[in-house]
Amino acid sequence: MAGLTFADVRFWYPATERPALDGVSLAVAPGDVVAVIGSVGAGASTLLLVAARLAPRVTGGTLEGVVEAVPAGIVLPTPWTQSSGMAFTVADEVAFGPANLGVTRDEIARRVDRWMARLEVAHLAGRDPATLSGGELQRVILAGVLAMERDLLLLDEPTAELDPAGAALVWRLIRDLARTEQKSVLVATSDLDAVPDFATHVVWLDKGRVRAAGAPAAVLTADAIWTSGPGSTTVAGLWRRAGLAAPAPLTVADLLARVR
Amino acid sequence: MTAALRCDGVSFSYGATAALAGISFALEPGERVALLGRNGAGKSTLVRLITGLLHPAAGTVWVGDWETRGRGPDALARRVASVFQHADQQLFASTIRADVEFGPRALGLPPAECARRAAAALQALELEPLAHEHPYDVPPPWRKVAALAGALALEPQLLVLDEPTAGLDRTLRALVTRALAQRSAAGVAVLVVTHDLAFAAETLDRALVLAAGRLVCDAPLGALLIDEARLGSLGLVPPAVATVSRALALPSAPLREADVARALASVARSPRPV
Repeated sequence: MAGLTFADVRFWYPATERPALDGVSLAVAPGDVVAVIGSVGAGASTLLLVAARLAPRVTGGTLEGVVEAVPAGIVLPTPWTQSSGMAFTVADEVAFGPANLGVTRDEIARRVDRWMARLEVAHLAGRDPATLSGGELQRVILAGVLAMERDLLLLDEPTAELDPAGAALVWRLIRDLARTEQKSVLVATSDLDAVPDFATHVVWLDKGRVRAAGAPAAVLTADAIWTSGPGSTTVAGLWRRAGLAAPAPLTVADLLARVR
Repeated sequence: MTAALRCDGVSFSYGATAALAGISFALEPGERVALLGRNGAGKSTLVRLITGLLHPAAGTVWVGDWETRGRGPDALARRVASVFQHADQQLFASTIRADVEFGPRALGLPPAECARRAAAALQALELEPLAHEHPYDVPPPWRKVAALAGALALEPQLLVLDEPTAGLDRTLRALVTRALAQRSAAGVAVLVVTHDLAFAAETLDRALVLAAGRLVCDAPLGALLIDEARLGSLGLVPPAVATVSRALALPSAPLREADVARALASVARSPRPV
């Protein structure tokens, strides 16, 4: 079965008239990494909250339509609000999620080691989470959510706090989790330059509606994404601004192949 | 001319953990400077020292001709305005306009001057249509821009911004670039902590790089971004504009998007060598 399915989903926050999601249908299958892009306020974060069933359960509001999702791990865009506040060390913070799933002590220890290593935060294991830099904390939060080992991952701006090397590590990891462990991944991001490298599909949200969905090469080369959307990659932007023939290349490698 | 900001041999530790050691540099009025480095390099600590939230264990931080020692963030706010990394949590008033006005009010300025400054800041960031909204009713990226408006409304001599573009889309990033260019042209020194080298290339002119608490590079940003080996040794990854500029050997190594696009157009249209 699909990791996540939306069928004609509408969602209103409390006391609002315009729906934040307005008839969204999409599916995320095991092995898919679906990037949700859009201008600020397009509904990407709301989409993830609904998929995680935090909306309307925590946010309040009204949901219509059908949401089918296997149990998910969600990474919020603000790691400092997601840290448990109950752990004195990074290792305890990473253990918090699996401990709450009732897995055995040995298994918790195994997962903590595994995910701290994969997020390259093992050297921080004994640190107090409250003393970490923003980027260090974001990696720790990611490790903690991945340690829950859910089949569906919902990631909202998971690299916003990271330096470029850290962001590249996370994008690679996400792609690998989908390919080798058949995770279903839905990720909202404004890092459009990274999208062609990690996403198998792109969903462009605009005012709560799906404006376009498909392969990155299709969605990110649409002209309308510049005129009424979030834009595309830096390289596609340079190409368009230079007035060169469509379709634009998306990556530096594509561009060099076209020009040389 | 007095520097807008000067650090002389500044060091700081969190308990036993050394965060910064022997940092010295100065910013002239109107300079636009990127503060770069890996996560945990000490960038946010330096921001806290400049804004008076922390004080150096050794060395001196000067904001204009004021030493920060003995001054708290409230006193320094007459000269330095900052936006935190987690700026979307920096707001607390019941409307965005009231939040932007809070700074000038706290400085004790007359109401008409507070209103004028807030209006100018809101306009510079195209926030007027949202000014009546409750800060927590707008998406976090707009909240972040509203926090920047609050800093602009202080009309400081020095603006210190910690990751101002994280989570912002292209439109909002362009607003931030334009607002910083305007303030810089008016003589305000701008120091921006950022991992977003594409934004830095578009907006800033000079790079300070921290590594493990030390200042390891102070160079023109353009020269640094085009030098892939140097960037690599500093743990930085070149933005796409720099990679394109370098790979195509574009004349005079442009880095701003408009300049790269113009050079790309002439290269791509010229006949290929046989």
